[in-house]
Amino acid sequence: MINLQNISKIYHPNIHGLADVTLTIQPGEFVSIVGQSGAGKTTLAKLLIAEERPTRGKIEIGGWDITRVPQRDIPFLRRQIGVVFQDFKLLPRKTVYENVAFALEVAGVSGRRIREVVPQVLKIVGLDEKLERFPRQLSGGEQQRVVIARALVHRPKILLADEPTGNLDTINTREIIDLLLKINAFGTTVVLVTHNREVVNALRRRVITLSEGRVASDHAEGKYLLPV
Amino acid sequence: MSFFINFWRIVASSWKHFTRNLWLALTTVFVLVLALLSVNVLIGVNVLLTNAVHQLENKVDVTVYFQPDTPQAVLEQARFFMVSLPQVKDANLLTADKALEQFKQMHAAEPKIIGALNELDQNPLGASLVIKAKRTADYPFLLEALKNPQFDFAISSKDFEDHTDTINRVRDISRSVQLFGTCLIAVFALFSILIVFNAIRVAIYTQREEIGVMRLVGASNAFVRLPFVLEGIFLALFALLFSAAVVYVAAYYADPQLKGLLDGSDAGLVTYFVGNWWQLLLIQGGSLAALVALSSWAAVGKYLKK
Repeated sequence: MINLQNISKIYHPNIHGLADVTLTIQPGEFVSIVGQSGAGKTTLAKLLIAEERPTRGKIEIGGWDITRVPQRDIPFLRRQIGVVFQDFKLLPRKTVYENVAFALEVAGVSGRRIREVVPQVLKIVGLDEKLERFPRQLSGGEQQRVVIARALVHRPKILLADEPTGNLDTINTREIIDLLLKINAFGTTVVLVTHNREVVNALRRRVITLSEGRVASDHAEGKYLLPV
Repeated sequence: MSFFINFWRIVASSWKHFTRNLWLALTTVFVLVLALLSVNVLIGVNVLLTNAVHQLENKVDVTVYFQPDTPQAVLEQARFFMVSLPQVKDANLLTADKALEQFKQMHAAEPKIIGALNELDQNPLGASLVIKAKRTADYPFLLEALKNPQFDFAISSKDFEDHTDTINRVRDISRSVQLFGTCLIAVFALFSILIVFNAIRVAIYTQREEIGVMRLVGASNAFVRLPFVLEGIFLALFALLFSAAVVYVAAYYADPQLKGLLDGSDAGLVTYFVGNWWQLLLIQGGSLAALVALSSWAAVGKYLKK
């Protein structure tokens, strides 16, 4: 369970990234966090992976207070949460296989296990034929699928996708969203941060709308409504 | 077990990174080679100047001429006394007969001189003792030692006075060369440190985004840092081997060319670089590896904090 209590993030000198946000995400949920640019979506995503710390409030993930997590424990937190980024963030000098394997290597998983699991995960995302390719040899959609494979490979309880379709065309967007739904169906909590209205409205899942750093609405089967 | 798995992964990862990033690696190696060569050129110049000074020092000696009728026992006593002094490197006794023989050989083509010599009833030449000191600074002491009453009465002349100025000049040059050479090597070493540090910083700057990605995937600081440090050590190793090859080839070709400057004597570059190869590799390799490792550690750390 993800639990945010009165979270505020103030950037110097007095810019509110988030202001007094309180929300709870249950295990196995598929939640879309929407809002216009500057609404605080990316700030929220960064707080969830401890890339930034809140100015006030408390964030708990599975009962673990990550607002007080020491710097040295942050890698352990990040191994519990799969993260998918808009700009992919793949390691350009590693192959598809190595990029996915890297997420397990950093956790000290044995070589045998890595050789067993990585091809399986790459098969799920449909890249089992392109293991030895480098990121530059893949399309945008394929690169995003590698990122999802990397996020999934250590079986995280939570998958955080920050604008995963931002750089993709309609067909690739559809494929990535289908993949996220499939992952959610296996029991993984998916937090989708996006400003893509069509995607959110087609999903018919919980939608949290942020506006000027505050929770403007939170609907169980919501839609991304245009601001009035 | 986990330590060895991680260690092996770090080694494998840095080697792959090195080979897949070949252009960046080569340009960094090139900069490191230039830094090493600048230090080695100065070491070579220092060796050359030191050898030149030694050549001059070797030419300096004190020759003591004895009266023609000096008994052999006195001559032997003088030689024995001088050889036993710790300051003496060598003392060669040239007997009167040997001196006459050498004189005749030297003037064999001059019948007038040989004829005049044959007219004499006895050998006009006396014995001589050629003394070489271990250090030029020891000559004044040796001149004092030659005033020993056991053989001083038999000495007709000493020719050291002619070399006093040379010895002093050589001593001054030697001191200046060593001081100047050391200062210049220190300055170049400092420049090289800055160049190497900057080269590594630039190399890591181009990979700053990868460092960020590694962190986001959950890599610990050590897991991010160590491959870069190890890759830096690979670069240092290649630079060391390449510069060693360049230095050896350059010394091999420069040695004969420099003989002219040293009165036909060996310049001693190959002898020095080959004779001291392991110390040079150890000191330069160790310093470079440590410098590169520290630079990599610090440069990566800058992006780990972001």
